[in-house]
Amino acid sequence: MQTCPRACWRYSLKTLFYLTIITSSFFIFSAGEYRCGSMECDYFEADVSDKASLQRGLSTYMNYCYGCHSLKYSRYKRVAEDLLIPLEMYENNLIFDGSKIGELMEISLTKEDAINWLGAYPPDLTLEARLRRPDWIYTYLRNYYPDSSRPYGVNNRVYQNVNMPHVLEDMQNNLSESQYDQVIYDLTNFMTYVADPSAEQRKRIGTYVLLFLIIFTAFAYMTYREFKKDLK
Amino acid sequence: MSENTIGKKSLDWVDKRFPVIDLFERHLSKYYSPSNINIWYLFGFLLLIVLVMQILTGLWLMMNYTNTAEGAFSSIEYIMRDVDYGWLIRYMHAGGASAFFALIYLHMFRGMMYGSYQKPRELIWVGGWFVYVLLCAEGFTGYVLPWGQMSFWAAQVIISLVGSIPYFGEDLAIWIRGDYIVSGITLSRLFAFHVVLLPILIIAVVFFHILALHEIGSNNPDGIDVKKHTDQDGVPLDAKPFFPYDITHDFYALGVFLLIFCTVIFFFPEGGGYIIEYVNYEPANPLSTPAHIVPSWYYTPFYAMLRAIDFPLFGLTAKFLGFVVMAAGIAIFAALPWLDRSPVKSIKYKGIFSKVFLAGFVISFFVLAYLGSVPPTETKNMLAKVFTFLYFAYFLLMPFYTRFEKCKPVPERVGDTA
Repeated sequence: MQTCPRACWRYSLKTLFYLTIITSSFFIFSAGEYRCGSMECDYFEADVSDKASLQRGLSTYMNYCYGCHSLKYSRYKRVAEDLLIPLEMYENNLIFDGSKIGELMEISLTKEDAINWLGAYPPDLTLEARLRRPDWIYTYLRNYYPDSSRPYGVNNRVYQNVNMPHVLEDMQNNLSESQYDQVIYDLTNFMTYVADPSAEQRKRIGTYVLLFLIIFTAFAYMTYREFKKDLK
Repeated sequence: MSENTIGKKSLDWVDKRFPVIDLFERHLSKYYSPSNINIWYLFGFLLLIVLVMQILTGLWLMMNYTNTAEGAFSSIEYIMRDVDYGWLIRYMHAGGASAFFALIYLHMFRGMMYGSYQKPRELIWVGGWFVYVLLCAEGFTGYVLPWGQMSFWAAQVIISLVGSIPYFGEDLAIWIRGDYIVSGITLSRLFAFHVVLLPILIIAVVFFHILALHEIGSNNPDGIDVKKHTDQDGVPLDAKPFFPYDITHDFYALGVFLLIFCTVIFFFPEGGGYIIEYVNYEPANPLSTPAHIVPSWYYTPFYAMLRAIDFPLFGLTAKFLGFVVMAAGIAIFAALPWLDRSPVKSIKYKGIFSKVFLAGFVISFFVLAYLGSVPPTETKNMLAKVFTFLYFAYFLLMPFYTRFEKCKPVPERVGDTA
């Protein structure tokens, strides 16, 4: 039978030590409980390079959400440019209050009116996709259900006793399930874009930066190796 | 350079008035580092690079940031959307903070592993510890500036700890906040600390840290004194000049570090919520407390210690005791040079107890980091107590186990087997 010499023991102890660290660091990055209220979030993967989807999402947003929910950190012009919508077309169809195209996307609903009419002030949604994550929004908008105990006759499985009425109810009733899911996908996709409009540019530049760094590191390594030869 | 060229002439002109050549030789080309130093010795250089990066990106952020409760949150979004490459500068700065802490923890662990704090490097260690403390303050003040929900509530929790000090705590907390709760007044003073006072102190202490290092020279993984054996010119035999041998190694390390760093900031800038917390995308609201208030990942071990103390003792409140334990968890690093009574420096030659306690320290640091980042439960609180105890055991029992354990003989020179 082979015995374990000192070096072997030392090696096993070291391995055990690093394994403990690696497993405990996994714990750090794992999360418990449901992120989407009473259920798991449905799978959602944004594709902000799909301009057609973003345009459809923008049009749903402007027609159904924008009455109450501002996008006050974003500007009309930036959205138009990023979504490849001609500025004139945008101005004529998607600015309702005579704002200039370079202005922030603020709404005319005041806080006092909102509290009088709705009981709460609808939050700004520019950063909603970063705050709650896109999969939450996607799941939330697809999980309204009838509940006669609530003021608007609807409740939500993701956000229990939510104050917001089911604004897209008519649409959900008139469309097939997959068509409705597509509408929500586009809307969520748009909200993902507007929460982080530089994402595409960031990834494009990032790719070049990493390519440069690979070359830089290769040359730095060769220089290091060349000098290291002196030290033998 | 024997000819009288323009270059030589101007160098001479400057050198007669300022010792450039002497400085270059003393700190670079004739500054010697042990020939056996390994990858653990690269983090100091990387930390210096990150410091410079934080100062530069911070300067650019400051050009567009508004330090008022009304304007702070939207000024960050203005930087992210309307300022050219503002998103890049902001992600570099936020990611840089996390990188700074990741690197400083590795750098500190190196010192603990190889006994770099031991005689004659006590002041280098204490200086470095002070940089770490300042960095904690810098990280905290910077975290408040975006004025999101987590910024506000983290500030509220941390400053309220001061309020737990008996007798004058509440008055002190009001004096620090400048208000009864964290408000715009608090924000603008934390901004002043973040951009003026703390960076100046950090630069000054880092300068001291490097000056002290260059007086004594680096330790090494074997803990051998390389200055003992020199050639006839006084050049250490088991060492190499920093320039060009270490600097080329450092640049290679810089490339690897930047590859990782840029992958994060360009492709995962939020770091899964660990670099930029999702909750912080909601503007600060004093009327609504978030479900879990968690500090940034680099403070979570100490936050777990704070929460682990949930019992009053000797008429002192649990909150105050937790605050004391948390502060002690950071302060105790400074005492290491005087706690270690071992005749050898490096963990390689120390006895089994040093190894077990150091491993225990590292494991407790990771476990506490995890516990500090999740909502507390009874079991988790119990675990936090056990691992806080283990954390402190490494330090407080050190004078005993380092004195009585059996160490291995340290070789006389690098490459020798003793």
